[in-house]
Amino acid sequence: MTQDLLMRYLIWPLVKFLVAFIIVQVIVAAMNYIERRLLGLMQARLGPNRVGNEVFEKITPRSLHRFIPGGLLQIIADPIKFLLKEDIVPSSSEKVAYFLGPMLPLIPAFLVFCLIPYGPPPTFVVTHVNVGLLLILALTSTGVYGIILGGWASNNKYSLMGGLRSAAQMVSYEVPFGLSIVGVLMLCGSFDLVRIINYQADHIWNLFPQLIAAFIFLVAMNAENNRTPFDLPEAESELVAGYHTEYSAMKFAFFMLAEYSSMIVNCCLMVSLFMGGWTLAINGYGLTTGVLRGWGLAGGILGAVIFISKVMLFMLMYIWFRATFPRFRFDQLMDLGWKWMIPLALANIAVTAVVVLLGLQFNFQGEVVLSIAGAAIIAFTLFLLLRPRAKVIHARRVSEA
Amino acid sequence: MHVEYQKPRWTDKFLLLDMLEGLKTTLRELFKPKVTIRYPEERLEPANRFRGMFKFSFDRCIACKLCALACPIDIIYIDVHDEQREIDGKMKKLKVLDRYDIDVKRCMFCALCEEACPTKPKSIWLTTKTYELASYDRKDLYFNMQQLEYWEGRPEYAGLPADEPEPKQIEGGMP
Repeated sequence: MTQDLLMRYLIWPLVKFLVAFIIVQVIVAAMNYIERRLLGLMQARLGPNRVGNEVFEKITPRSLHRFIPGGLLQIIADPIKFLLKEDIVPSSSEKVAYFLGPMLPLIPAFLVFCLIPYGPPPTFVVTHVNVGLLLILALTSTGVYGIILGGWASNNKYSLMGGLRSAAQMVSYEVPFGLSIVGVLMLCGSFDLVRIINYQADHIWNLFPQLIAAFIFLVAMNAENNRTPFDLPEAESELVAGYHTEYSAMKFAFFMLAEYSSMIVNCCLMVSLFMGGWTLAINGYGLTTGVLRGWGLAGGILGAVIFISKVMLFMLMYIWFRATFPRFRFDQLMDLGWKWMIPLALANIAVTAVVVLLGLQFNFQGEVVLSIAGAAIIAFTLFLLLRPRAKVIHARRVSEA
Repeated sequence: MHVEYQKPRWTDKFLLLDMLEGLKTTLRELFKPKVTIRYPEERLEPANRFRGMFKFSFDRCIACKLCALACPIDIIYIDVHDEQREIDGKMKKLKVLDRYDIDVKRCMFCALCEEACPTKPKSIWLTTKTYELASYDRKDLYFNMQQLEYWEGRPEYAGLPADEPEPKQIEGGMP
């Protein structure tokens, strides 16, 4: 009996967590390479393309050489370099806080991986918590402490400024981040991520009825992770490197690890909340949880693969945004957060609530109306964006002098 | 200059069309072929008139020392001795090169020596398209006659001898 409980509540979740953890860490390591490479390609250069080419050319047949992207071993070379670099501790720093700085954001970033459903339950869910979403939000929002602590303990004005900016930014964007989820919660009626995903498989991806919420979530998640265009805490041109100016070697790597881990967490949330998680279904047709469960372990793995590919899609989106958008000024950032995102999120909540209530009153499905509206907005935007047109010259020269 | 911008329509503003347009641009850029040349594996061939490493021809040289005279920084060292030699049954006085050294590390590749050379084809020329002259030792950049004529261990392009017809000048081009 005790053995059974031990297996069920301790060993089995631990094994699952380790597997998920390792997969996520591999993705984090790979993201470093993918980001540098894609960023390079988007900026009309090549990016890292050297490390490990000789190794791969030796082990693979000649005909495959063309298809191997260069520099794959950069994934391994970077961590090795981080490990071997000298660990510099500024003599004027506050030692305890300085050491705690990089460690603190790691804890919530790793803990959250226990709560994310990677595939159909129970096999592919580490811990099935019925307030999982709330817990994830609570954990991720503690990540800012490490950044503030690190920035303050370095005893460097750039670090301090970076830490302060990060704190202000995270606090402001936590609000629209949370508010954007409310609409989803009203539609699905649960904090349980598994149930939210099942609801989406049975109806439609929340992306359509909650299009505005999804957009706000995307923006807020960029801001939460200090990614461009909201990377003010580490703005190179103003603050050297922001809160991790004084950190080197493995401590710096810990900051990066935490950042990329929380990026993955946010992408997982985005996928679970708005993109239907591990399912590929609409209105109950397609690869729903039931169908995947019917195929046993293979179905579960298929679900996990679908989930991870959706997550990777959003990770690529981070890179795409970074390559495209210039950095905001700090007041613009605050303007966007408080004057646009929060009212928009509130309006979204109001509209969703009214439509759902009207649907209950007059017997129609509220989310269908919202979905049609969302799909119409997407279609109209795509039409405007992709319509064939003559080259428009926006600036007209009026006079020369 | 006064520039008047077109006012964006409210639809463009609300649907963030400018940002999406930017995203479209970067996406297009992602798939464009890149112009970067991966240097050690790929090389650009220099233009025909490119001044690179020297090449010297012992057979053509008449040991007139005009190149050494023309050299503005005096890095061409020439030693000559006279020799009586029988050519076509007559005894003739002939200059024979003992030493023809160039201190390439101080050279500025002005090609005045090539210009000054009276032989036809030129016996010293720089249009060899070879530019990889870096070395670990200063001594390696001091070249004697043999080294100038037969390079060792340096990447070589076919190289244009200076007597080849010059590329046609485009009319109305540079004077």
